[in-house]
Amino acid sequence: MVTNFLVAMVERILNTSLKLDSTLSDKLAPIAHKHLLVEIRDWQQQFLLVFSGQQLHLYNTIENQYDCMISGDIDTLMALQNPAMLTQLIRQDKLDLQGDLNIAQGFSNAFAAIDIDWPEHFARYLGDAPAQQLWQSLKSAQKKGQTADKKLTATLSHLCQDELKVTIHPIELEQFKQHTRQLKGNVAQLEQRINRLRQNHSNQ
Amino acid sequence: MNENQQKTTHFGYQTVAETDKASMVADVFHSVAAKYDVMNDLMSFGIHRLWKRQTIASSGVRKGHHVLDLAGGTGDLTAKFSQLVGETGQVVLGDINSSMLKVGREKLHNLGLVGNIDYVQMNAEALPFPDNSFDLITIAFGLRNVTDKDKALRSMYRILKPGGRLLVLEFSKPEHEVLSKAYDFYSFNLLPTMGKLVANDSESYKYLAESIRMHPDQDTLKAMMNEAGFEQTTYQNLTGGIVALHRGFKY
Repeated sequence: MVTNFLVAMVERILNTSLKLDSTLSDKLAPIAHKHLLVEIRDWQQQFLLVFSGQQLHLYNTIENQYDCMISGDIDTLMALQNPAMLTQLIRQDKLDLQGDLNIAQGFSNAFAAIDIDWPEHFARYLGDAPAQQLWQSLKSAQKKGQTADKKLTATLSHLCQDELKVTIHPIELEQFKQHTRQLKGNVAQLEQRINRLRQNHSNQ
Repeated sequence: MNENQQKTTHFGYQTVAETDKASMVADVFHSVAAKYDVMNDLMSFGIHRLWKRQTIASSGVRKGHHVLDLAGGTGDLTAKFSQLVGETGQVVLGDINSSMLKVGREKLHNLGLVGNIDYVQMNAEALPFPDNSFDLITIAFGLRNVTDKDKALRSMYRILKPGGRLLVLEFSKPEHEVLSKAYDFYSFNLLPTMGKLVANDSESYKYLAESIRMHPDQDTLKAMMNEAGFEQTTYQNLTGGIVALHRGFKY
């Protein structure tokens, strides 16, 4: 029931996006009533996504009736936010796809291109000028937040790697990997040599 | 003593003449129709929406399908099915109670759902449709109010198309003793009080609690569905068995 509740929440968010972006319905229209089954392997869950022409319907289901089924890990499926990745992920065997590829591409393209005109929606409640100003402030706050986040991450990495020595630097890690690979090669060579010597010894 | 007087059934914990039950159930629903949705949300803390979502998720409904939403009440399932079957499909919202149908029709019209929904007042024991008419039949929280459940199940089987399925969403028996005790306390003490306060009708909600206890448990209902002819019959307990979703196919 918890999963069901979460799925209902996601469905609500999707339908809110549908209301806020007036072009989304048109983008989804060619794949209306087509059933896309999404299997998330690491969660062992299946979700059915259908656009009925007016609304998006999302269900957690055990049904196996679909027009298109995609199956992959959550990270792989998240990568589908970039529609160009679809064929690449299939070739890399990270994503299984059965049925009509156009349906998966249709949903992926539509969601990747969601473009909500927030100032216009704010303007209904605030008026044009304050809505525009609010939107600019939010955008600038987001930019500042991203910059602060980058700075904080860099400072923390610097602190952990160079000052506190809690973690190692990526270059050190690369060197360690290289040494390990070299050691592995040497051990393999030694193993081969020992085997040859043992074989010679047993032949005598 | 004539034959009618001998045939009895239960109405909650009361034993009544079979011929009287339908009208007594009708009285209950005439009484609660106006506040039905509010009371459903209150009584189940909104969880009835999740139970219904699970029913739709298990329906396998597609564009062009013909769906019968029996005892459909205020049309929660019909609203979703109407969108999923599209303009080439058809949904029949059926209920024995005219007040419930009226509330349902008004609600669905207000949601802009028109065109592929028919409203039919009908008795589940004698469904007024030809054989093999529907791809899907659902009956949510309605079967326990039906006087002759076996007859109703046989009637549903008759009008299902081969390959079609029946979904029965109904209150059932909780799986754990502790949950069962808490549920009993809630049903017999809090529920009628809530009914009194919100709908000014404690008797109807007392009937609701009693009728749930008199309804067959999960395995009995499964056996009844098999007896009516359904195949691959399974059930899924929801919220610890307070509600169960039974599914059966006609082949």
